[in-house]
Amino acid sequence: MSALARALRPFALVALGLAGWELLSRSGLTSPLLVPSLGRIGWELGRLATRLDSLAEVWQSLHRALVGFALAAVVGIAIGILMGRSRVAAAVFDPLLAGTYPVPKIALFPIFVFVFGIGSLSKIALVFLECLYPIVVTTYAGSRVVNRVLVWSALNMGASPARVLWRIVVPATAPYIFAGFRIALPVAMIVVIITEMLSSADGLGYLAMYSLASLKTDRMLAVAVAIALLGLGLDRVLVLVRDRVVFWERLDSYYA
Amino acid sequence: MGSWRSSKTVPLLLLAGAVVLWEIATLGPRADFVLPPTEIARDVVGAVASGELLPHVTASLTRALPGFALGSFAGIVLGLVAGVVTGFAETVSPVVFLTYPVPKVVFLPLFMLWFGIGDVSKILVIALACFYPCFINAYYGARATPRLLVWSALNMGAGRLTVFRKVVLPCALPLVFAGLRVSLALSFILLFSTEMINARSGLGFLIRQAESNLRFDLMYVSIVAVAALGYASDRLLLLARRRALAWQEAGSA
Repeated sequence: MSALARALRPFALVALGLAGWELLSRSGLTSPLLVPSLGRIGWELGRLATRLDSLAEVWQSLHRALVGFALAAVVGIAIGILMGRSRVAAAVFDPLLAGTYPVPKIALFPIFVFVFGIGSLSKIALVFLECLYPIVVTTYAGSRVVNRVLVWSALNMGASPARVLWRIVVPATAPYIFAGFRIALPVAMIVVIITEMLSSADGLGYLAMYSLASLKTDRMLAVAVAIALLGLGLDRVLVLVRDRVVFWERLDSYYA
Repeated sequence: MGSWRSSKTVPLLLLAGAVVLWEIATLGPRADFVLPPTEIARDVVGAVASGELLPHVTASLTRALPGFALGSFAGIVLGLVAGVVTGFAETVSPVVFLTYPVPKVVFLPLFMLWFGIGDVSKILVIALACFYPCFINAYYGARATPRLLVWSALNMGAGRLTVFRKVVLPCALPLVFAGLRVSLALSFILLFSTEMINARSGLGFLIRQAESNLRFDLMYVSIVAVAALGYASDRLLLLARRRALAWQEAGSA
């Protein structure tokens, strides 16, 4: 196979899908309401990216996802490292986590709405809760397997426990923490979009449902593409940050 | 100190303490949406006994299970094939990895438009979400098959299909189950979200209805049912996994 064909191969399926879509939309077999042309979707996407009011919706969703994620990161890393370094903490939290992990936290959303109100706070709280689990679990797994010899050597050379934590445990756990981040970040986006679809007057999830209700399929698809690009972009940024922070370990499989 | 980690008494005591505290806290003046645990327990028993809960549970399961089965089956099959056939992997896996961080709920409005607001659109969204973890895990599982085993099997005269069935599949199985577990959790999240967004039955619908009618008893009943369902299905999967992977050393899970 030629080099060109090999390089183009990953894009073949995407191109095929897009071509099929455009063909279907132009064939006249389907209503443009069901399958709008790529041009219409692109035009709506451009509108979404250039108008201030729609950018405000993007920001609203992004801000909810990121605040919830950041809170979960801080609390999750703390709990995870505590569990990894203390038997008592592990004995308390481990069964608690294992028992509540498979329970869909989204079911708590109605209660969160009553407690935190219908605005951003209830959504951020749910994002926090859903993101907490993967971050705690991976941090715990990582901080448990820190090389003991390193810890002993540092203690022996007179490092304080705080210094050992900061200079040895945290760096050794960092690759695991980032693995948890990569699971949690898409979850944050999912939860934000779902909660905005459920009850909101702003954000991309709301915009998607509103466009559907107004039979603006092209706009709805543009919002869907925007959400997809946002999820993809956040993941890419995270991988970039990871490669800079944890520069000593290569990312060779998708998860690690 | 081994008893510390394995013992379940400490967390159980903590849990019991939290429930008792909750009960005591609700003795005084309380907000409408906070129910004491004893009352929730009574409501759950009442809803089960009156048959109010059962139709919603069955409605939810008839959406979640086909979606989960469809999505994870497709994911496992395509993932295993991609792990074995390089050309197929080069075509398919970039698309899968690229779209993996995309929240699949965004397809719900589109599917609602194409397939109606009935069960089909919900099942398809659940299937789509379940596809990804299964594909990725099956792909890596199949790729991680030790070459030595494949070569030995080929050398001893096994055909390509036999190698796939007897060598690649068992090697990939632990990761396949890991993928299934993630997919199962995802299927429940999406089930309740899609039912909360639009449905006329199911536990997600029950929660929404209870919420808007301020029937807090019913709200807690549905939350307990959701939690129990999620927990029970996860346990069932772990049980199946233990049976299927009986040859693996214990503890490596």
